Amino acid sequence: MIEIDIEKKLFSHTGEMNLKIKTSAKKGDFVTVFGESGAGKTTFLRILAGLEKPDEGYIKVDNQVWFDSTAKINLPPQKRKIGFVFQDYALFPNMTVEENILFAMEKKDKKFLENLLELIDLKALKNRKPQTLSGGQKQRVALARAIARKPEILLLDEPLSALDIKTRHILQEEIANIHKQFKLTTFLVSHDYSEIFKLSNKVIYIKNGKILKEGSPEEVFLENRISGKVKFTGEVLSIKKEDIVYVLTVAVGNNIIRVIATEEEIKNIKIGDKLLIAVKAFNPIIFKINS
Amino acid sequence: MNKLKGTIKHIQSAENISIVDVEIDNQNFRAIVLETPETSSYLKEGNQVFILFKETEVSIGKIIKGEISLSNRIKCRIKKIKKGKILTELKLLFNNTYITSIITTASAERLNLKEGEKVEAFIKANEVSIMEIVDG
Amino acid sequence: MDEFYQTLYITFKLAFLTTFFLFFIGLPVAYFLAYSRFKLKPVLEAIVSLPLVLPPTVLGFYLLLVFSPDSFLGSFVEKYLGLKLIFSFEGLVVASIIYSLPFMVHPIQSGFSSVPKSIIEAAYTLGKSKLETLFKVILPNIKSSILTGLVLTFAHTIGEFGVVLMIGGSIPGETKVASIAIYEEVESLNYQQAHKYAFVLLLITFFVLLVVYTVNRNFLKADKL
Repeated sequence: MIEIDIEKKLFSHTGEMNLKIKTSAKKGDFVTVFGESGAGKTTFLRILAGLEKPDEGYIKVDNQVWFDSTAKINLPPQKRKIGFVFQDYALFPNMTVEENILFAMEKKDKKFLENLLELIDLKALKNRKPQTLSGGQKQRVALARAIARKPEILLLDEPLSALDIKTRHILQEEIANIHKQFKLTTFLVSHDYSEIFKLSNKVIYIKNGKILKEGSPEEVFLENRISGKVKFTGEVLSIKKEDIVYVLTVAVGNNIIRVIATEEEIKNIKIGDKLLIAVKAFNPIIFKINS
Repeated sequence: MNKLKGTIKHIQSAENISIVDVEIDNQNFRAIVLETPETSSYLKEGNQVFILFKETEVSIGKIIKGEISLSNRIKCRIKKIKKGKILTELKLLFNNTYITSIITTASAERLNLKEGEKVEAFIKANEVSIMEIVDG
Repeated sequence: MDEFYQTLYITFKLAFLTTFFLFFIGLPVAYFLAYSRFKLKPVLEAIVSLPLVLPPTVLGFYLLLVFSPDSFLGSFVEKYLGLKLIFSFEGLVVASIIYSLPFMVHPIQSGFSSVPKSIIEAAYTLGKSKLETLFKVILPNIKSSILTGLVLTFAHTIGEFGVVLMIGGSIPGETKVASIAIYEEVESLNYQQAHKYAFVLLLITFFVLLVVYTVNRNFLKADKL
C-alpha cells in the first residue's frame, strides 16, 4: 500500500504551479500518470523516487515513512526500494550491458543476472556498450537494470515514447511481464491510450498539478457515455477503400481487427489515431473455445 | 454511422435492459440497451441524446404489407444513390432529416431503387445505441 | 650534474609535483563548483579564475608578500612546518599550484557539468552513494576532461615565468627552471645554450601534447553517450 499526499511549488517557463497530489495505490497496481506536458507528471515520479523534495506532505509505503514534512523525514533515493527508468535511458556509457545490470545489484548475483538477460532478451548484447545499441535495446537494458535491485516500486518516465510502434508493442509486453513476475507496484508516465489500456489498472489524470480524474482507464477515459457494452480501444494501422466503404485495420491489444467505416466516418481519422470501437451487447456471436 | 439528435420520450426498464423511445424530427426511434436510468444518468425522459446506428444495419423495403417484428420503420424518400460493385449507399430523407443506408448492390437492383422514390427504412431496436450529449 | 640537465630536471619535477597535488585539490573544487547550489559560489569561481587574467607578476608580488617570513602565513609555515616558501623549491610548488588552479579546475568542472544529470540520478536510485557514483560513474565518463586538466596544468607549469621568477628567484639547482634559464641565456647573448633549452622544451611539450590528443580521441569516443 502506497499513500501519497504531497504539495510542491513548481517554477517553469509557464509560471508558477502548485503540484498537489493525494492518491494511493495497492501493492500490484499498475498506475498510469497521464496529463499534458508540464502538468507535473515527471515531477510527481521524481518525488516518489526521492530525487525531488516536496514542500509539504507525506509518502508512506507499506508502513515505512519515505517522506514526512512535519517529522522532517526524507529518505534519500538510495534508501527507497525503487527502480527508475528514465526517458533518456540514462545507461552508464563506461559499462557494458552486463556491467550496467551488475552495478545495480547490491550483491552480485550471477544467476539472477542470467535470468534477467534471458527474460529481457539481452543475452546476445551483454558485452556491448550502450552507445552501440538501438533505442529499443537501450530501453531494455534500462528496464533490466531497474529490476536488478529487486525494487518494490517501478517508476517509468515515458519509457517508450521515443520508440517506433513495433518496438513499443514488444516492450509493453515485457513491461507487463516484469510487473507481474516481480509483483511490482508500477507508476508509468504515458500519453499513449493503447499503452494505458493495455498495461494499467489505474489512471491518475493530472492537469495543472492537480488530479483531474482518477480510476480505471475505462472510468477515466470512456466515461460510459455510449450504451454499447462491448468496447475496444485501438490504434488505426491502415485505412483502405473497398468498394464504396472503407476497411479500417485496428490494433486492439494483441489482436488486429478489421471494421467497416463509411467515407463520412473516416474523414477525421488517420493512421496512428486512437479509436474507441463499440459494439452493441446484442450483436456479438459467442463461441466457447474447447481446449 | 448515423448520428441523430433527439429527445427521450419514454423509457421502459426491466432489471438491466431498457427500451428507450427517442423522438427525432417527429419520428419515433426505439432503442434497446443494456443499461438503465440507474446505471446511466443520461437515460432520463425529456433528456436530449444522440442515437447511433451503423448504415449497414438499415434495411430498405418497398411496398411492405403485413406485420413485421421490427420496431423502427421510417418512411422516407431516396435522395441519392451511390452504386458500388458489391455495396450501394442510399441517402434517405424523412421530414427534414437524413439517414444513410448501405445495402448490397444486388438488393438495390432487385428492388429497382431509383432516386426520388418512396421507401421504408427498417432498423432493429437492438442495433440502435444511445449516446450522452456532452457540451463542448 | 650539469646545470643544463639540473635546470630541466627541476622544471619537470616542478611540473610533475604541481600537477600531482593540483589533481587532488582541483577535483573536489571542480566537483563543488559543478554541483553545489551554494549561494556564494560565484565568489569562489572568480577566485579560481583570477590567475587566468591577472598578470603573473601581480600574483607573484602578492604571493611574495604572503609567503615572506615577516607575514603571518610565512612565519607560521616556517615555524611549524619548517618550510621556507620564498626562494625555495617548496615555495615554487605552492605558488605553481595556486597559479595553475584554473587550468586543472576548469576542464574537470566542465567535464562534470557535461555528465547527464540522469545517469547520476540513475546511480542514486540504484542505491549508490555519492562517493561511489563519483568514482564508478562520473569519473570514468570524463576521462578526457581529466586528462585535459592534467596536461594543461603540466604544460602551463613548464611555461610559467613571472611567478616563478618572483617567488623562486632563479637559484641554480634549486629554483631555476628552463623558462627563466632561456631568458638569462639570451640576456647574456648565449644563444646556443638558449637554443638547447628552447628546443628540448619544444620537443617534449609537443610530444606530450601529441600523446594526449591521441589518447583523448579514444576517450572522447568512449565518453560519447
